Amino acid sequence: MKVAYVSPLPPERSGIADYSALLLPALAGELEVEIVRRGRRLPRGADVVLYHLGNDVEAHGWIVRLLERQRGVVVLHDFVLHHLMAGLTVGRGDGAAYLDLLEAEAGIAGRLLGHGVLDGRIPPLWESRPQDFPLVDSVLAQADGVIVHSSYVARHVRMRGYKSPIWQIPHPAWEVPRRRPFPLPSRDRTVVGCFGNLNATKRLPQLLEAVARLRAEGCGVLLVLAGSVAPGLDLAERAARLGLEEGKDLLLLGRVGEDRLWDLVLASDICVTLRQPTMGETSGMAIRALSAGKPLVVSENGWFAELPDGVAAKVPVDEWEVDMLTAILTELCTNRSLRESLGRSALEYASREHGLERVAGLYAAALEEAAGGSAVTDEVARRVAEGLQAVGLDAADPEVAEVGARLAEMGL
Amino acid sequence: MRIAVCLPQVPFIHGGAEILAEGLAEELKKRDHEVALVSVPFKWYPGAEVLTHASLWRLLDLEEADGRRIDLVIGTKFPSYVVRHPRKVVWLVHQFRQAYELDRTELGQFGENATDRAVRRAVHRLDKLALGEARAVFAISENVAERARRSTGLDVEALYPPPQELAYRCEEYGDFILSVGRLDRAKRTELLVEAVAQEAGLKAVVVGEGPERERLESLARERNLDGRLTFAGRLGTDELSDLYARCLAVFYAPVDEDLGLVPREAFLFQKPVVTTADAGGPLEVVADRTTGLVCEPSADAVARACAWLAANPDSARDWGRAGQELAARVTWDNVIDRLLAA
Repeated sequence: MKVAYVSPLPPERSGIADYSALLLPALAGELEVEIVRRGRRLPRGADVVLYHLGNDVEAHGWIVRLLERQRGVVVLHDFVLHHLMAGLTVGRGDGAAYLDLLEAEAGIAGRLLGHGVLDGRIPPLWESRPQDFPLVDSVLAQADGVIVHSSYVARHVRMRGYKSPIWQIPHPAWEVPRRRPFPLPSRDRTVVGCFGNLNATKRLPQLLEAVARLRAEGCGVLLVLAGSVAPGLDLAERAARLGLEEGKDLLLLGRVGEDRLWDLVLASDICVTLRQPTMGETSGMAIRALSAGKPLVVSENGWFAELPDGVAAKVPVDEWEVDMLTAILTELCTNRSLRESLGRSALEYASREHGLERVAGLYAAALEEAAGGSAVTDEVARRVAEGLQAVGLDAADPEVAEVGARLAEMGL
Repeated sequence: MRIAVCLPQVPFIHGGAEILAEGLAEELKKRDHEVALVSVPFKWYPGAEVLTHASLWRLLDLEEADGRRIDLVIGTKFPSYVVRHPRKVVWLVHQFRQAYELDRTELGQFGENATDRAVRRAVHRLDKLALGEARAVFAISENVAERARRSTGLDVEALYPPPQELAYRCEEYGDFILSVGRLDRAKRTELLVEAVAQEAGLKAVVVGEGPERERLESLARERNLDGRLTFAGRLGTDELSDLYARCLAVFYAPVDEDLGLVPREAFLFQKPVVTTADAGGPLEVVADRTTGLVCEPSADAVARACAWLAANPDSARDWGRAGQELAARVTWDNVIDRLLAA
C-alpha cells in the first residue's frame, strides 16, 4: 500500500520536520512511502495522502494548498490553526478570505471581529485569542481522517462536529544519543533546564520568578535556558530585576543545535516545559526529557495534563501557578530520590507509550484503515443488504435498522 | 445455569476447536448445567467475507431462547466471540490468525492492496471490541493468551484444556514414531516423512486426514520408504489409543501452534514428544530432555531426535512419565470453575 507523505523535513527548522525525520524510517518498514516535499506535486497512484499540519504558515502553508486540491488524512500537530490560516489569508493580502473563515467558524460575530482586526481596531485574534477561533474547520472538511497526539485535541476535533475517524497516536520518542552532558559551571547546584522556542506561552516570567524564590530560600539552583527568544521577551533584564545573576543563577544560551540540545537535556537534573495557552500541541522537548529519563515539570493543561501523575509533575495554570511551581521545584531540588523515581517513571513511560516502532505501527494501522476502510464497509454492507433483500426486507423495516445498528457497533 | 457454548463451524471440518468445544459442553452437562452448542457456518474468504461472516454472530440474539433466559455465553474461536450477551466469557481458541502473526507469511491471506490491508485492520478493531466487552478472556494456552494481549492490550489468562477422553495407558515403547493431527501445511508432517527417509531404522505412523495427505503420500512414495511409514487416516478413539499406547514417541511440530492437545494426549499415554523450537503452544509443555526433545525445524534434526529416542528407550520412558505428571494436573474442574466464576 502506497502513502504520499506530505510534511516539512529537515533542514527546515520545525518541530514537525524533526518529527517526520524521526518517524519516516520506521514507517517505511510498514508501508510504501513516497515523500512529498515543498514545491512537489502529489504522486499518482497513492492509496492515501498523509498531510502534517502545524500552526505555522511558513512551514505548512504549502501543505494546506495541496490538501485543498486532494483530500487525505491530516495529522493535526496543533488544534489551533489560526496563525496558519491568518498567514494564508491576511498575510497574503486576502482579508476577505480571512473574514469568510471566521464567519464559517463563528458566524457573523466572527466576521465582525475579523473586520475589527483588519481595520486595526482590535488586536489580532491570532495573538490575543487564537484558542477561541481555532480556524480548523476548513482543514477538517478536507480530511478523510485525523491523527492527533492527545485526547485533548481529539475531543476538540469532535466538538467541531467532525464525524470521520480520529486516531490518537502518541508522539514518537527519540533514541537518546550517547553523548556527554553539557559542561556546566557549577555542579553543586541543581540544574533546571528549559529548552525550545522561548516565548511568553512557555511561562518564562513565572519560571524566572519561581527560581528567584528558590534562590531567596537558599536553594542552590542553576536555570539553563536554551532556544530562540521571542522578540519583546527580555529574559536577561527580567532575571536581573528578580536578582538572578547571569552566569551564576542563570545561563542564557540562545538557539542551539540538536546535539547540543541533547547535551543540555542530559546535563539537567530537572526539565521544565510549561505552556499556556496551549494550541493543543505535543511538546517535542517534553518527549526528549521523558526519553532521557529526566524529571519533568509541565503545565496542567492540554496534552501535558494527560501525562500520568507519576511521570510528570503538573502545575495548574491559575493564580497560584508560581507558588505551586516553586513548591514543586523546591521538593525536586531537595529530594534526590524523588527525582530519581520520577526519572525512572518517565523513561519507562516514554519507551512504553512513545516507542518509535509502536508509533509507526499505529500510523500503519490508521493509514490502512483510511485507505481501504470505506471499500470494506461498503462490501460488507452490500453483502448483508443482499441477504436482507433476499428475505423480503427493505430499508424501511425495523429489522434492517437493527442490522444496521449491529454493523455500526462493529465499525462496519 | 443455561449456557451457550459458541463455535464457528467450517462445514466438513472437525478438528481441535470442535473437539474442545464439544468437550466443554459435555463437561458442563455432567455438572448439571443446561448447555447448547451454538454454531454458525464460517467462511473467511475472499476479501471482506471474513467480516460478513463475523457480522452474523453479531446479529444473533442469545440473551434468551424459547422464552427463557440464557445465563452465560462462552465464545471460543473467532468470530464466535463477536456475539452479544450481558454475560459473555471468552475461552479463546484463537483469533483470526491470518490477520495477525500469519500475515505476510506463506500462510497469510491478505495482500498488499488497500482493501486487503483494511480488512485486516477491521478484524483487529473487531477483536478489540468483542474481546473487550467480555467479562473475562481466557485462552487455551499461554501462546494464544500472549498473542491476544499483544494485539488487544487486554488482560488474558491462560486456561489449559484437558485433552479428549481416550483409553490412556502405556503398553510399550515400541519401534515407531506416531504423528497425530490434521494433514495441512501448518502441521509440517513432511518433516517426519523426510526424517524417516533419512534415518534407515526409523518407522512412523501418521494419523489424520487433510488437504496435504495426497502430497505427503506422494512424497513418501518418492522417497521409497519400504513400508516404514504408514498413513492410517482418521481413526476412532480405540484405534488411536492403541497406537498411542504402543508407540515409542510422538512427533508434533506445527508452525507456531495455538495449543496443541496432541503433546498432552501423548503425555497421558506416558510418551515423550519430539517437537521443534518454533512450534509455539507445544513448547509450553514439551521441555527439552525433560518431557521430550525440542529440535530445529529440519528433517535432519527430527531424524536425529527420533533415532536418539530409539537408541535410549529408558529416557523415552522417563520423559513420558514426567509428561504424564504434568498433563494430569490439567482438569475440567479447574477450567469450568474459572469460566463460571467470571
